[in-house]
Amino acid sequence: MRLTKYLLPFMLVLTFSLLAGCTSTDQEKGEKTTQQTDEKMITIGWPLDVGPLNPHTYLPNQMTAQAMVYESLVEYNDDGTVTPKLAESWDISEDKTSYTFHLRKDVKYSDGTTFNADNVIRNFDAVLANSDMHSWMGMVNHIKEVVKEDDFTIRLQLDEPYYPVLNELAFVRPFRFLGDNGFPEGDMTQDSIKEPIGTGPWVLKEYKKDEYALFSRNENYWGEKPLVDQIKVKIIPDSESISLAFENEELDLIYGRGIISLDNYTYLKDSSKYKTATSEPLSTKALLFNTQSGPLAELKVRQAIQYAINKEQMVNSITHGTEKVANTLFWDAIPYANIDLAPILYNPEKAQQLLDEAGWTLPKGEKIRSKNGQPLTLDLIYIATDAIQKPMAELMQGELAKIGVQLNLEGADVMVGLQKLMDDQVDINFWRTNGPPTDPHSFANESATPNASGVYEAKLGLPNAKEIDTKIHQLLVGTDEEERVQLYTDILTMFHDEALFYPISYETNNVIYQPYMKDFAPRASEYDIPYAQMEKEKEK
Amino acid sequence: MYESTWMFSLKRIFTLPFVLLGVSILTFVFIRFVPVEPAEVILRLARVAPTAEAIQALREELGTDKPLFIQYLLWVKGVLQLDFGTSFVSKLPVAHELFAKLPATIELAVAAFILILGLSIPLGILGALYRHSIVDKVIRLLTILSVSIPTFWLGFLLLYLFSLKLGIFPTNGKGTLAHVVLPALALALPTIGLFVQFIRSTIIEELQQHYVQYAQLRGLKHSVILIRHVLRNAAIPLTSLLGMTLGNLLGGAVIVEQVFSWPGLGRYLIESITNRDYPVVQCYVLIIAVIYVIANLCTDLLHRLLDPHLMMKDRRD
Repeated sequence: MRLTKYLLPFMLVLTFSLLAGCTSTDQEKGEKTTQQTDEKMITIGWPLDVGPLNPHTYLPNQMTAQAMVYESLVEYNDDGTVTPKLAESWDISEDKTSYTFHLRKDVKYSDGTTFNADNVIRNFDAVLANSDMHSWMGMVNHIKEVVKEDDFTIRLQLDEPYYPVLNELAFVRPFRFLGDNGFPEGDMTQDSIKEPIGTGPWVLKEYKKDEYALFSRNENYWGEKPLVDQIKVKIIPDSESISLAFENEELDLIYGRGIISLDNYTYLKDSSKYKTATSEPLSTKALLFNTQSGPLAELKVRQAIQYAINKEQMVNSITHGTEKVANTLFWDAIPYANIDLAPILYNPEKAQQLLDEAGWTLPKGEKIRSKNGQPLTLDLIYIATDAIQKPMAELMQGELAKIGVQLNLEGADVMVGLQKLMDDQVDINFWRTNGPPTDPHSFANESATPNASGVYEAKLGLPNAKEIDTKIHQLLVGTDEEERVQLYTDILTMFHDEALFYPISYETNNVIYQPYMKDFAPRASEYDIPYAQMEKEKEK
Repeated sequence: MYESTWMFSLKRIFTLPFVLLGVSILTFVFIRFVPVEPAEVILRLARVAPTAEAIQALREELGTDKPLFIQYLLWVKGVLQLDFGTSFVSKLPVAHELFAKLPATIELAVAAFILILGLSIPLGILGALYRHSIVDKVIRLLTILSVSIPTFWLGFLLLYLFSLKLGIFPTNGKGTLAHVVLPALALALPTIGLFVQFIRSTIIEELQQHYVQYAQLRGLKHSVILIRHVLRNAAIPLTSLLGMTLGNLLGGAVIVEQVFSWPGLGRYLIESITNRDYPVVQCYVLIIAVIYVIANLCTDLLHRLLDPHLMMKDRRD
């Protein structure tokens, strides 16, 4: 009991001395941390941990990190062309079912082992052993075998022609290559890998899960060497915290789509202390109308909604001009998508007229239109945490109220919205395209088969849904380029005329970087960050 | 005296399994109320078509196709063998990852705890001694502010002031003492506000007790009365509050960890809820429950140590 008598005074003294001790040492350390900028290292903030860096699997792997370590046979460029990468050339057979790739002979893995046909085939086998997981990629369902022709030549044999093979091979996963020493026992890469050994320009050097990943230059790299020695990816889950860390010079740059809110981006940009850049569009933000039942089964209602919203004003005010207004589902640089389609421009009178024609009339003294006693109300689900979807949804609610349409809004997480659409429980969802290199064929693929994107279900109410499906199948297996162009034109025109989507804006990668960094061009890619071009000026 | 304390502890420890049983059943049932099941989430994340067959196959793989009761029994069976299951997403053992992140969260909670003790006790005493003076009013204003500001906003205010404007502390990360100060402060401040008010009113109450007047009559020095008698008596209700606080600190850490990029349990929990990673959520709740129960037990023991009346009562019973 005597002990407790002195407990409180003792605790007091202890805590105060600790506190006093803390603050003095903290100050010194704090200063050191904030001023620690290495000339040869670029530090970037990213909201999610880079993951296990497994080239053959999806989440929790981050595409941007996988792309640093692993490379593909061919590369997809922002202009839609495909160029050599690990394969220096390729031949496609007359019947378009056989692809022969001639591999580069000067490629070494980061551990010094050679990249060759045996290794490529081992990687293909590991991926195809788990083909269910990759079946979203149409090619996987068509590969018959992968054969070694000689030490640096492989042949990919398909069961029937499938034109987007090269685009799918260019994608960041799963067709990228792990060094032999990285394979786990039994080659079951779908479960785990032993070590992230790739041919890419960067090697993982240090990793603390949920804190940071440090990549250093791959000294065995066959291509052009990056300008800096190291890239540090700091994991900062909160977007506000990322902008604060950047302002505090703990980060050299922020790069990507939706990494920080557009408000913060505009704030940093307007401070004119930093350099900014915006990539070409990579994907499209749109509304997807569910035509399975309800008022949206009618074309005129879908069109009326599109006429009723002042899109230009909405996009410019909410995205502060960082996204471009979209009038068609795909941006012109997307292959096969550069076709003439008449845009639906803001015209509220026309919207009212269309609804009148469709029999949705405004009873005297009422604010909401109705037909056969049924009021014109629609449900829209937005992603609750999305900084852009919510204000857009609210703005559209206001616009539609003006023409007598009641829009009910519901914030939910990503999964809920999709499921409700597939189960025909909601009228409108936000939706976005996949972006290059798999668009537009992955869009076509997903539209014709029940799939995670919801387009297949949403279009079930279209009168020409069957016709669209047939044309999509034709175009994926067709071998004639001219015919393919025609089919894409037909399909995209049908979607456009049926007003199944309401294209809103083209999303871009927004980049903001410290003034001491040299300029570089951001890419229109979800995963390729041009680290190799980044460099700091000599004097900071 | 020692015997009864031992018995007391034993009894409390004996109830632990029942508490955990209750908590685990509730978690097990509640997490399944979250719309969209794990099989579907995993398929969508992998961009695989969530067809009925694919979902069924994955349910079988995950074991979520079995009746809820069987799932629970299997899980309990695993837990009894210290196998907390495998994460649906990372496919790694849950316990491995959770225990790897636990130290970071505990570090944060302990730092906040120290701040709470170190700041709220002196401020509470000051407020009580200089009641209704300007010092008291300033302290009260600050405590009301600290209680009312939402944690995430408070976090950003601290970051803005101490990192961006003053440049004293880094904005994110973990490693040095400097990294822990701001998150611990953000976590501690709301509780500090609560405690200062509590300590202030308890001391004021104690000062009006007869024993204080008696001590004054005996001619004891003011400081002696305050430290030996008043503070000690005031510490008794404080200890029960402290026990609960530790639990709240662990829970509150979820938001603070997000704002300050602190690699602890809270962030992992948020990710796991989004991914419907049931085993992780279940194990997390279990760990927090154990800590909560143990913290409460410690408080009760401390309580008994400080207040002999309680022990006497036990002995009489």
